[in-house]
Amino acid sequence: MRDPVLQVEDLSVSFTSGGVTTDVVRDLSMRLDGGRTLAVVGESGSGKTITGRAIMRLLPRGASARGRIVAAGREMLSADERELRRARGSDVAMVFQDSMSALSPYLDIGAHIAQAVRLHDPSVTRRAARARAVEMLDRVGIPEPADAVRRFPHEFSGGMRQRAVIAMALVNRPALLIADEPTTALDVTVQAQILALLRELQQEYGMAMLLISHDFGVVASAADDVLVLYAGRQAEYGSLRDIFEQPAHPYTTGLRAATPRLDARLDSGGKRTRLRAIPGAPTSLRDAGPGCAFAPRCGLADQVGERCVVEVPLPTVRPTNEDGGLHLAACHLDRLPALQEVAR
Amino acid sequence: MSEPILEMTNVSKRYRTAGGFGRRRKGFLAVDGVSLRIGRGEALGLVGESGSGKSTLARMANGLVVPTSGTVRTDGQDVACLSRRGLRRLRRNVAMVFQDPLASLNPRQTVRQTLANVFHAHGEATSTAELVALLESVGLDADYLGRYPHEASGGQLQRVAVARALALKPDLIIADEPTSALDVSVRAQILNLLADLQRDQGISFLHVSHDLAVIRLYSDRVAVMQRGRIVETGPSDEIFRSPQHSCTRALVEATPEAELPA
Ligand SMILES: Nc1ncnc2c1ncn2[C@@H]1O[C@H](COP(=O)(O)OP(=O)(O)OP(=O)(O)O)[C@@H](O)[C@H]1O
Ligand code: SF4
Ligand SMILES: [Mg+2]
Repeated sequence: MRDPVLQVEDLSVSFTSGGVTTDVVRDLSMRLDGGRTLAVVGESGSGKTITGRAIMRLLPRGASARGRIVAAGREMLSADERELRRARGSDVAMVFQDSMSALSPYLDIGAHIAQAVRLHDPSVTRRAARARAVEMLDRVGIPEPADAVRRFPHEFSGGMRQRAVIAMALVNRPALLIADEPTTALDVTVQAQILALLRELQQEYGMAMLLISHDFGVVASAADDVLVLYAGRQAEYGSLRDIFEQPAHPYTTGLRAATPRLDARLDSGGKRTRLRAIPGAPTSLRDAGPGCAFAPRCGLADQVGERCVVEVPLPTVRPTNEDGGLHLAACHLDRLPALQEVAR
Repeated sequence: MSEPILEMTNVSKRYRTAGGFGRRRKGFLAVDGVSLRIGRGEALGLVGESGSGKSTLARMANGLVVPTSGTVRTDGQDVACLSRRGLRRLRRNVAMVFQDPLASLNPRQTVRQTLANVFHAHGEATSTAELVALLESVGLDADYLGRYPHEASGGQLQRVAVARALALKPDLIIADEPTSALDVSVRAQILNLLADLQRDQGISFLHVSHDLAVIRLYSDRVAVMQRGRIVETGPSDEIFRSPQHSCTRALVEATPEAELPA
């Protein structure tokens, strides 16, 4: 068996402020092979971005990570600054939701990409790096690339800017791309184009992709495997198929039932149907009680009883439809009742 | 047939842009000869890509933006001909809910002040009991009266914004991306709340969204906008089952389904 491109074991991230340390991500594990996409889904504050940043070792001030992260064969948590600089861009790269924040308003697009090339390999001449930028812009579908390298970020539309940022991230062919909500700020038609582009480049480069998203629609169209986060912990992990066909965590089913679908009305013969909302609001690990963080919102907690509010459920193995697939859920219930029974 | 609650006839809006040549000198035509009507108790969904003119159109419906040409009638009255008192009545009958609840609420006012101000602005007194009832109608308890915006979540704030819109018993609510900034699970709560208001109180809706799946579930009819014009309109079931215009088709095809790929 090949080594995975990304292996995360028991990752926890905490913030310290005013002498108090609190975890925001707890005990996450995942593994990701080349050419595959793992989607990390969850609502705001669930720890998606922090997880992505921890893998890059790009955590905000005051944050620290524990556990083990191996990305492209490199121990990220024990690597020194020099190693990290080498790793970022060459082995692992990250694309953010807000493309503007990744770009300097004073540099033209070509300079951004050329800089990434020369950081990776200082022996490349400025001219050659600039030529690589043109090539790369062409590859990500920017028209008239020779002209586009001289443009500044604000002269690009949101979609074009996201393409440029992807060009910058991928110019050194990293083994792992972390894409944090790469299409959330874009129109649906542009979103579909960007997702298609990412898929294409992934195949071409054999790259592994960690796709962070709050949108089950995006996940269903792009992921091989799915990690569902709730309040900084893994709620469920499994192949896309297992997550959709035999979900084992009430939050997973709840999230899906709350996601609008375009064909939903056709299914109901033209009657106006409604989404099934999850009561309450998402919490972060910081605000979670001693038991299952989902308990205050979970329609099944009553069935289980006190255990849900006093004991944190640990991920346990669940049935899978995949050969040798891994399906985990962190819930005290061994089996979920059929979806209809979950409705209330 | 009864009077539609909103009727826009051949409405255009040209924004002036500073200096420039050609297209720029003539200004930017954000809405270009649009006609649309919303019946009583009806929910009309307005979809289209960003920049297609949805928000400008929505703001013309309640007088926040003055059209360059064309007429807007609410409740049968031409908005352009309204006296000051008439305009005031328009503001009562047509309420607005915006995308970002935090930005639309005054950070230095408690929920009580925010709600009470709506009544004061219209020269009405109000009681605590009324305010509590208003909050309860959007699923918040009395406890929220004393809270400031930063003491509530995004979903709770959007409920406050809906309560504020409901305060004066409007006939029409214009909701411009009311749930885009909310988490998936909370978004469904707010959408169901709006659907309840339509069903139980007969309030009409102009619901602007870039999310076709949301509009499909929560609107009776849909209008699709592209570059300032409405290119297709009809019952939402029909539009999404067999989109006719290429713009609608492109939007439908690009919308990702939360379903396993076939
Ligand atoms: N700089 C920071 N200082 C303190 N706490 C932080 C900081 N950044 C994030 N957090 C906390 O860490 C937790 C996880 O945040 P994170 O940004 O990873 O969430 P997310 O899942 O990406 O959410 P979203 O969908 O809103 O982007 C949250 O509780 C958040 O408040
Ligand atoms: S452990 Fe209990 S509260 Fe948590 S998801 Fe399972 S049933 Fe619900
Ligand atoms: Mg995030």
